[in-house]
Amino acid sequence: MREGMISSEHIVMIITAICVGTLARILTVKEDFRQYPSYPNGYMIHLVTGFVAAALGAVAIPALMTKNFVAVTFLTLAIQQFRDVRKSERESLKDVENTEYAFRGDAYIDGIAKTFEARNYFSLIVSFLTALTIQIVDSESKLINIISGTIAGAVGFYILKRFSKGKTIGDIAEVEEGKIEVKGSELFVDGMYVTNQLGTENAATLFKNEGMAVVIYPHEEHFRIALDNFGQRQAALFEATRALGVKRYHFTRKDYEKGRIVVTLVPIIKDKDKLIEAVKKTPLLESTKKSHAVMKTNLVGKE
Amino acid sequence: MGRESSERPGYEILAFVTLNKERILGGSQLTLLAENEEQQRLMVRDVAKAMKADVVQMKSGDYLVIRV
Repeated sequence: MREGMISSEHIVMIITAICVGTLARILTVKEDFRQYPSYPNGYMIHLVTGFVAAALGAVAIPALMTKNFVAVTFLTLAIQQFRDVRKSERESLKDVENTEYAFRGDAYIDGIAKTFEARNYFSLIVSFLTALTIQIVDSESKLINIISGTIAGAVGFYILKRFSKGKTIGDIAEVEEGKIEVKGSELFVDGMYVTNQLGTENAATLFKNEGMAVVIYPHEEHFRIALDNFGQRQAALFEATRALGVKRYHFTRKDYEKGRIVVTLVPIIKDKDKLIEAVKKTPLLESTKKSHAVMKTNLVGKE
Repeated sequence: MGRESSERPGYEILAFVTLNKERILGGSQLTLLAENEEQQRLMVRDVAKAMKADVVQMKSGDYLVIRV
């Protein structure tokens, strides 16, 4: 190898690691589609930042191998960059808060922003693992190097994905359709008082004819700690309104005695199953998780 | 509810429509005195439509026009 020139082995290592790392980001962006209003431009931004993260992870090993220890300090830049990703994500989601059917709420926004930051670490770690494996295997055959690096990256990606996979409302509670009753200007769901904002005849008729409601029943008493949280309920309401649209009115209400949570609205698309599914799939926010049992994470990929 | 009430969305009372002038005590909201129930309902509906607001009918028979 000529002094100052990068060897072909290192080029193979860097390119493979960047490709695998970027692929990891592509796969997680796709999975995140529901959480994020992924317009083409939003998609693009995250793919590019994922590529940059993968590149940073990929060059760490060659930098060490060429005794360029100072160069490894650029990893600190990566941390800064990822924090900026979280910050920009939060700002962008807060900017659109006033234009949504319902507020996402600060807790949900914080959760989404954190997820996006974490997904960049995925790219970095996966590409680093890929490069490290190629370096350890160090076979004469470039193909064997590439394959072994890719396999290591894929295994790392799988473990990270399982580890970071959060739970949803459907994991800790039953979600069932609720029966709507309008008495005068008051709205009840399964006999539970929700609001008295239906003061006009139009409002009462609209809710009676077109309103939909679901009731969330926690499996265990301690799950109420998470479900009763205002941010968590707001997130469920947001997902429901985004899945079905809102013609008029949306409310959530909690029942102090039995721990039931009501999510009700007058949707544009009247689809009961879609509403139940949207609430079930609402992520359990990290900031609301307090119970030890709920905090069990899938460290080694167990369900 | 203490904490919940301080979270968004915040509620704003835009108008109070009553049949009883004894209940008009002031405040920042618009307060209207209607002559009969029919007129009260029309007033409430018009204000709510104009302000794109919601209506609460109180047990006392008075109406609040509120905005979330």
